Amino acid sequence: MRSRKTPWLSVALWSLLSFVTLFPIYWMFVISMKAPVELFSTPDILLRSLDWSNYVEVLESPTLRGYMVNSLVISSGNAVLVTALGFLACYALTRYDLPGKESIFFWTITNRMAPPAVFLLPLFLLLTQVYRIGDFSLLDTRIGMILVYCTFNLPFAIWTLRPTLDAIPKELDEAALVDGASAWRVIWDVILPLARPGLAVTLILTWVFAWNEYLLAATLTNFTARTLTTGLSEYVTTTGTAWGIMAAISVFTLIPALIVFSLVQRHIVTGLTFGAVKG
Amino acid sequence: MATVQIRGVTKRYGGVQVMHGVDVDIEDGEFVVLVGPSGYGKSTLLRMIAGLEEVSGGTISIGGRVVNDMLPKERDIAMVFQSYALYPHKTVAQNMGFPLLMQKRPKAEIEEKVRKAAEILDLTKYLDRYPRQLSGGQRQRVAMGRAIVRDPQVFLFDEPLSNLDAKLRVSMRVEIKELHQRLRTTTVYVTHDQIEAMTMAHKIVVMRDGRVEQIGRPLDLYDRPANLFVAGFIGSPAMNFLEGRLATRDGRRVVETADGTALPLEGAAAEDGRRVTYGIRPEHISVGEGGIPVKVSVFEPTGSETLIFGRLGGQLIDALVRDRIEGEPGQTLPFRIDPRRAHLFDTATGVRL
Ligand SMILES: Nc1ncnc2c1ncn2[C@@H]1O[C@H](COP(=O)(O)OP(=O)(O)OP(=O)(O)O)[C@@H](O)[C@H]1O
Ligand SMILES: [Mg+2]
Repeated sequence: MRSRKTPWLSVALWSLLSFVTLFPIYWMFVISMKAPVELFSTPDILLRSLDWSNYVEVLESPTLRGYMVNSLVISSGNAVLVTALGFLACYALTRYDLPGKESIFFWTITNRMAPPAVFLLPLFLLLTQVYRIGDFSLLDTRIGMILVYCTFNLPFAIWTLRPTLDAIPKELDEAALVDGASAWRVIWDVILPLARPGLAVTLILTWVFAWNEYLLAATLTNFTARTLTTGLSEYVTTTGTAWGIMAAISVFTLIPALIVFSLVQRHIVTGLTFGAVKG
Repeated sequence: MATVQIRGVTKRYGGVQVMHGVDVDIEDGEFVVLVGPSGYGKSTLLRMIAGLEEVSGGTISIGGRVVNDMLPKERDIAMVFQSYALYPHKTVAQNMGFPLLMQKRPKAEIEEKVRKAAEILDLTKYLDRYPRQLSGGQRQRVAMGRAIVRDPQVFLFDEPLSNLDAKLRVSMRVEIKELHQRLRTTTVYVTHDQIEAMTMAHKIVVMRDGRVEQIGRPLDLYDRPANLFVAGFIGSPAMNFLEGRLATRDGRRVVETADGTALPLEGAAAEDGRRVTYGIRPEHISVGEGGIPVKVSVFEPTGSETLIFGRLGGQLIDALVRDRIEGEPGQTLPFRIDPRRAHLFDTATGVRL
C-alpha cells in the first residue's frame, strides 16, 4: 500500500459544490417545518423545531393526494411506454436495412428542438378536437398526458438508446436465430438483458422529465389529471403564498424521485457485452 | 445428418453481384472446407446456408428440402462464428443449453446434454463461469459446445480458429477433426488457411471472387490443380511458376524460358511455341548433380528442412529440401526438377494443360 497525501484542494472543491447543490434542499426542508407566522418573522436558516403541520395538511388533502397519484401514474406510465417504444425503434434502426432510416432517426429529435410552449396549441387541439369520441376527449386525462409526454420523451429515448443497441454485436442476434430463437425471443433473451444499463438511464431521465414537467400539465389538465407540480401553483393565491405548504409538497415530489433513482440506478453498469465477441 | 446441395446460387448486394452461380454438393456426413482469400464470398455462402443472408438466385437444399425461404430456426443447423458470439450475460452452461431451451426440452435433459458436451470439450470446470472469465481457446470450445449439444443436421463453421494463436490452432484443429469423426455430422467449414483446409477436409471447395475455382479431395487439388489460382493457393510454400514456351529439344518436350533454360516435362498435349506457365512445387526440387544452375539468394534453415530461394534467368524459384544445405548467398546450386511432378498451365487463360 502506498500512502498518499490527502488531496485537500479536491476535498475543498467537492465540499463547496455539494454545499451549493444541497443547500436549497435543506432550506426547503427548513421552510416546510415552520408555521406561516414563523416564516415571516426574522429569516432563520436553522431548524429550531419540528412542526409537521404542513405535512399533515398536505397528506390530509384529498386533492393533493390525487395529484400525487396522477403524477406517479403519468410519469411511470410515460417512462415505461417511451422506453419500450424507444427500445423497439432502436432495435429496428440498428438491425434492419430500412430505407431512409438515418433521416427518420435524425428528424425524430426535432420535436425537442423547439421550446415545449410552441407545441401548446397544437397539442391542445389534438387532445380536444382530434382525439375525441362524442363527449370524451383526451384533455385532462392521465392517458392523454402520458401520450403528450411521448412527444418529447420518445425522441429523447430513441437518441439515448441508439448507441446502446449499436454496441450489441449483431452476431449475437444471428447466433440466437441459428440456435432456434424467434425474433421476439432474440429481443427478450439476448438484446434486452444487454441493453439494461441504457434502458435504466432512459427510464430515469424520461421519468424525471414527466415528473417535473409544469407547462403542459398546467394547460392540458383541469382537475382530474392534475399533477403535483401544478398543484404547487395553487398555493400562490391573491391572498398570499403558502410557502410552508409548498415546501412540504416539494419534499413530497423529491421523495418518489429519490426512490425511483435508487431502484433503477443499480442497473447502470458498464461492460455487459464484454466477452461476447473477440477479434 | 443430411446432404447439402447448392445449385446456381448467386448473391447481390444492391447493384453489386458478389456471388456468380455457385454449385456445390455435400454428402451426408462429409467435412467440406470452403477456402479462398479474404473477401471472396466464403462467409456469404455459409451465411446463406444458415439462413442469415437472403439467396438472390439459385437454390440451397438441406436433406433434400429446399430451404431458400426458411428461417434459420427451421433449418436445423448449428453455426460457430468467427467471433464466437457467446451470450455474455449467460454462464457457460446457459450458453450451451440455449439451443435446447429454445426447443423447449425438459430441464433434466438439457442439463444432461450440456454436461456430456462439456465433458467432450473439457469444459466441465467452467460451466458456471461467464464468457468474460474464459480464455480465447475456452470461449472457442464453448461456441462449439453450443453447436454440438443439439445434434443438428449440419454444422457450419466460419473461421473458428482464426482468433487463436498458432499452437492452439493446431490442437483445436485436431479436436475439431476428432469431434467430426465421432459425431459424423455434415460440416461446412470456412477458412482462408489452406493448411486447415488440407488437413481437415474430405473435400475442398476453392472459391475466388464469388465463383468456385475447383472442388476436390485435398490431395487431388494438390496433385492436379485445375488452374493457376488453385495451384498457387494450395500447398505451402507456394508452387513456383516459371513462364516460357513449349519447345522440343533433342526430341524431348521442354518448356524454354526467356533465357534459354530448358525445364523438363513428361508429355505435353500442346503444340510447340505456345506460351505456358510451368509450375513446380518447392518440395519437388532437389539439389544435386545434373540440375539446372540456379543463383541462390537466401537460405532459410528450419531444422527439419531448408528453404532455398533463388533466381532462374530473372524468375524467382525456391526449393524445399530435407538435407541441411549450407551455402553462401550468391552461390550457384544445381536444382533438379522431377519432371513427373511438373504442372503446365496456359499462361493466357491460367487453365491446366
Ligand atoms: N452487407 C454487405 N453489403 C455489401 N457487400 C457485402 C456485404 N457483405 C459482404 N459483402 C461483400 O461480399 C464479398 C464477400 O464477402 P465475404 O464476407 O463473404 O468474404 P469472405 O470470403 O468471408 O472474406 P473473409 O475471409 O475476409 O471473411 C466481399 O467483397 C464483401 O465486400
Ligand atoms: Mg468471412
